[in-house]
Amino acid sequence: MPAKLVVQNLTHHYPDEYTGESVHALEKINLTVEEGELVTVVGPSGCGKSTLLNILAGLLPYRDGLVSVDGVKIEGPGSDRGVVFQEHAILPWRSVAKNIGHGLELKGMPVQERETRVTDFIKLVGLQGFEDKYPHELSGGMKQRCAVARTLCADPVVMLMDEPFAAVDAQTRITLQEELNRIAIATKKTIIFITHAVDEAAFLGDRCFVFSARPGRLKAIVDINIAREKRIWSAMNVNKEFLRSRDEILRLVREEVNIAVEE
Amino acid sequence: MLSRNNLNRFLAFWRHFSGAGAINLAFVIFGILLVWTLISHAIENPARYLPSPIAVALSSFDMVYKGLLPSYFGDTIGRLVVGSIFGLALGIPFGLILGINRTVADMFYPIMNFFQSISGIAIFPIIVVWFGNSDKTIFIVILYTSFFPIAFTVLSGVREIPMKYIHAARTLGANKFQIMRDVLLPGSLPHIATGSRLSIGFAWRAVIAGEMLAGREGLGWMIFTAQDVDRTSEVILGMLLIGLSWIILDHYLLRPFEADTIERWGLVQR
Ligand SMILES: Nc1ncnc2c1ncn2[C@@H]1O[C@H](COP(=O)(O)OP(=O)(O)O)[C@@H](O)[C@H]1O
Ligand SMILES: [Mg+2]
Repeated sequence: MPAKLVVQNLTHHYPDEYTGESVHALEKINLTVEEGELVTVVGPSGCGKSTLLNILAGLLPYRDGLVSVDGVKIEGPGSDRGVVFQEHAILPWRSVAKNIGHGLELKGMPVQERETRVTDFIKLVGLQGFEDKYPHELSGGMKQRCAVARTLCADPVVMLMDEPFAAVDAQTRITLQEELNRIAIATKKTIIFITHAVDEAAFLGDRCFVFSARPGRLKAIVDINIAREKRIWSAMNVNKEFLRSRDEILRLVREEVNIAVEE
Repeated sequence: MLSRNNLNRFLAFWRHFSGAGAINLAFVIFGILLVWTLISHAIENPARYLPSPIAVALSSFDMVYKGLLPSYFGDTIGRLVVGSIFGLALGIPFGLILGINRTVADMFYPIMNFFQSISGIAIFPIIVVWFGNSDKTIFIVILYTSFFPIAFTVLSGVREIPMKYIHAARTLGANKFQIMRDVLLPGSLPHIATGSRLSIGFAWRAVIAGEMLAGREGLGWMIFTAQDVDRTSEVILGMLLIGLSWIILDHYLLRPFEADTIERWGLVQR
């Protein structure tokens, strides 16, 4: 079976209108993501992770290389690719339920059918009782749960997540990571999860793509063979596979951070 | 004389019903009325220069009795409402379109800027030449006056909406129209509210000035003509009514709208 998502020879430069120089963000990225797989992407800050994600989302036009989902070239945003952004990007003027149902509303799904689905996803992310609240009334963790539910509810083929848990406190982050793992089991979604946290990358990923410092190159791929059902934080500090893959990712990222510092 | 104890009791009662803000306001109003009364008693010929609050109140009874005041008031409010509704209905979409599309904005912005500097009063003479001293003239001037503040504020409002919201909608599959309806319009509501307030405020001034210049009956006309015939109390009465009705309009129309939308959404703090 062909891969769900394919990135071939993707290179990206940002032009700088003021200085005339350009920023070389990505260099010849080649990678594939299989159906139902959750891959994590780590790399030092500024290495082009968000750039890659925005290109996959269709929000950033690209020239060099080819990016495709199910064999179709990505040429703009589409509801086949859902995005969870790092900053809270749920709409402040919509209640939790209306945010979660937004994608279905845009597709023109009838109200009743939509409400049933929305209720399911509210349950999935544990936001019962908050349906009619507005985003400013939610904690950071709840906002991101809402964002995750909004993306899932639109039923995308691929879910793209850009450091979605970076802005919440450590305790909440752990809960959200376990919840995402549970969601991955329940929905079997293909997920690309970007992070700069090595623990997170090893905990969530079936595979982890490690990027080099800018210009971002795919430096290494680390396989993490842990059954999803076994991924619980309380069991991780005795899980050999977790510790091994985490240390390997850490070592790979450290090399890059040191290079970035020495420059 | 009011004893201290009674006064305290009265104050507590008042506070209980209206909160500290209202009581402060009542003091300020009382102070103004007091100073006003004192001045009008101190000067010669107060009927011409500054009739006392009581004289003004009496003349208002008189005018209500004759049915003049309600009719002037209705005329003025009618013009204001019609004119500013059209002004807002044109200005809001115009601002939205300019906010979205840089090319269109670059095309129209200088022209808008040009006209914005020519106040409603300054276009009055040419409108009178075209349409005579008619209600149509006043309507056009109000529309013209209320159009620019709202168009400019909405334009800047759209540009201030964080890109992340537009991106989120696009990745959910929203088309251009849906982005306009679900993101840009609600996202610029804080600016629409401010802009509406500015626009209606300007329109309110324009309608008064318009009545004076075009000689159409209404509050503005009342102030203007009363001055000629030395009925200063009517001039002051007209001014008071203009100010009060603006406050009422703002309090009962614009404020509740803001409370239900932008405050509910946490877009502004109060
Ligand atoms: N819109 C942009 N214009 C110009 N340069 C940009 C833009 N966005 C990102 N960059 C630059 O591209 C590089 C990669 O950025 P980004 O993809 O955001 O990195 P990461 O998400 O890995 O931290 C950085 O050096 C950043 O400064
Ligand atoms: Mg980033």
